[in-house]
Amino acid sequence: MLRARGLHKSYIMGRAPLRVLRGTSLQAARGEFVVVTGASGSGKSTLLHLLGALDIPDRGTVEFNGRNLFDLGDHARRLYRNRDVGFIFQFYHLLPECTVLENVLMPRLVTHSFWAWRRIRRNARRDAEELLERVGLTERAKHRPSELSGGERQRVAIARALVNRPKLLLADEPTGNLDEEVGEDILRLLTELNEAGQTIVMITHDAKVASHAHRYVRLSEGVIREASSPGGRPIPAGLATREVIP
Amino acid sequence: MYKWFLAFRYLYTKLIALFGVASVMLCVAMVLVVLSVMGGFLDTVRARSKGLHSEIVLEGGTLQGFPYYEEFGEYLEGQLPGTVELTTPVIYSYGIFRVPATTWTKAARILGIRLDGYVAVNDFENGLHYERYYPGTTRLGLQSMPVAGIGESNVLQLPPDLEAANDKWRRQETDPEAIASFDQSPFQHAPYPYVTPAILGERVYAADLGPPRYEGPEHYGVIVGCDLLNERREDGNFNRYLARGAEVALMAGPLSRIGTTRGEPPILVPLRYVDDSRTGIFEIDSFCVYADFDMLQHKLAMDPQPLVDGGFTKARANQLLIGLKEGVDLNTSRDRIRGAWLTFCASLLPEVSDVDARAISLAEVYTWEDLQRPFIAAVEKEKVLVTFLFTLISMVAIVLVGCIFYMIVEKKTRDIGILKSIGASGRGVAGLFIIYAGAVGLVGSILGTILGSMVVWNINDIQDLLASLNPQLRVWSPDVYSFDMIPNVVKQVDAIWVASVAVLSSMIGSLIPARIASRVWPVGALRYE
Repeated sequence: MLRARGLHKSYIMGRAPLRVLRGTSLQAARGEFVVVTGASGSGKSTLLHLLGALDIPDRGTVEFNGRNLFDLGDHARRLYRNRDVGFIFQFYHLLPECTVLENVLMPRLVTHSFWAWRRIRRNARRDAEELLERVGLTERAKHRPSELSGGERQRVAIARALVNRPKLLLADEPTGNLDEEVGEDILRLLTELNEAGQTIVMITHDAKVASHAHRYVRLSEGVIREASSPGGRPIPAGLATREVIP
Repeated sequence: MYKWFLAFRYLYTKLIALFGVASVMLCVAMVLVVLSVMGGFLDTVRARSKGLHSEIVLEGGTLQGFPYYEEFGEYLEGQLPGTVELTTPVIYSYGIFRVPATTWTKAARILGIRLDGYVAVNDFENGLHYERYYPGTTRLGLQSMPVAGIGESNVLQLPPDLEAANDKWRRQETDPEAIASFDQSPFQHAPYPYVTPAILGERVYAADLGPPRYEGPEHYGVIVGCDLLNERREDGNFNRYLARGAEVALMAGPLSRIGTTRGEPPILVPLRYVDDSRTGIFEIDSFCVYADFDMLQHKLAMDPQPLVDGGFTKARANQLLIGLKEGVDLNTSRDRIRGAWLTFCASLLPEVSDVDARAISLAEVYTWEDLQRPFIAAVEKEKVLVTFLFTLISMVAIVLVGCIFYMIVEKKTRDIGILKSIGASGRGVAGLFIIYAGAVGLVGSILGTILGSMVVWNINDIQDLLASLNPQLRVWSPDVYSFDMIPNVVKQVDAIWVASVAVLSSMIGSLIPARIASRVWPVGALRYE
């Protein structure tokens, strides 16, 4: 479903270019839970941003269902971010002025005009409430993010990422800002989602998280150092595990 | 949809937006007050200018006047019966107004009018004080002084015709407050024509303990501009120190047909003060007196004068006021009457003398707007200039909204990153901030319109309040601005125009911050907390 090949990305830091990715490649099959680990500064987040078309690589391609994201126009890439991908961030990134329910609805609001929204709002609201029930936050629907704990905020972020039923979930250190117990809850939730068929690519600096994944890769200095290591969970029958191309 | 949703959510959750709302509100209120006051000033000037004259005026252009005005009036009514309702001549001159009882004198513009015709072509009647309460009693013909006295019912009464006129007013008056206000005003029974300042009131008549009567020699009546004779009170009414019917006098110099003084001494005409007139324009009310046309024409030697060859000169007037039929177009009528005047003059040429020919050649037909154009145009320019200056000052609001939105965008960088990560476009994010600014402008405009309207509606009370604290704060002086009151009407169209411009200006003010927001790099915005 997702195939990144030879991704290069550098940033200008001061006068010198900082080469973050140096030909990184990664694949994820439908229904797979892939974890990318690496030390801080290894390029994990940059890789995830490129996979989510939030950024453009200097070189390389990211194919989603056979189409290179960077051959697409701006509009198509925005639709990809809205419908095909759900992002989960380390710092939750919820809109502080909106309630939990409104945060979850936001991806739907983004792609519908004023009049279109009037047609779909009942269904959208029902979907969002179902998701909040799934992540255990029904009672918190009208609360603001500032009234929630870290774990609850991350659950809201997960619900928001899922509201458009994306094919791919990209999680950037979703437990990085949580204590161990709450982090474990979030990982269990992600595992449940994956078991229900959700494809997940998650980056983390915590190698222990790999126990929840089908496989993990280790990124170091912008290149894959350890590819296709088996994760803690058995790969389900029929799920084609792909080799990571170095 | 998210643009509208978030714009209105930010509107009431972001405190900083209130500063934008406040700045827009104050600017809208300021411009609306200026526009309403200046617009009201202009409208009042126009309305009162219209009421000063007839719709069309044949203006002689000289103080010595022009002949054949009467003949032209008849010619006009015959030639343009569908256009002209009636005509009435006016004489104007300059002289000295004197109150013999006090030896008080003042320069005055003297107008000779035929009262019935004059009030039929303009709004003059509406400004007459005694005529309101004693309808039909203001006359410019020969009359004595009414003296109130003890009547049959053993109370102070005016002569029967004045009491009957007052009863007529009471029956016609539909506003009970006006009657109550009149009754509360003390009935003067001053033994002398000149009433001391200690005795103030609306009904100023000479009186004693004899029967009500008319007393003294008959003189022609004169209507005096209210500011020329009376003292204006703070409530806009007047203290009248001269009893109705008191003797006054006018001094003026007759002019010959060619504008010379004829070597005669100035005339001194004793008159009776019968009423005072309030047009609402200070320059007129403090300067004009109105006397009988035929009397003044005779006194100023503008009536037919004997010639050495045995004939007589033609009578002269300075203006011929021409009232139009209902619904006819002003400018079209002016052009027709101008054409009629030229035809009429051409028909006179074989028989008219050189002096009269020069006089009629100087006469010109104007609309009331033409006559008042210099004054109205000056006020129009003043209105445009002041509104422009205040609008320019209000542009500060655009800059302020720009600054506020720049700060908001800076604070909302992460939200912009979030929105972009879930599919929002740069244009959409820019739209969000422009709508937000529009909402700030809209709320500010609504509040500003309310504030501005309240200020305008109560502007005279506000001025009175300020003046009661410090007289120096009374900024609207009728001596300077012609009118007694500051115009206090807000036009809906002005309010809508100002509010719309304010909303648009707010949106313009947000364009640069919105553009910055549209270019926010989501990765940079989302990387850190």
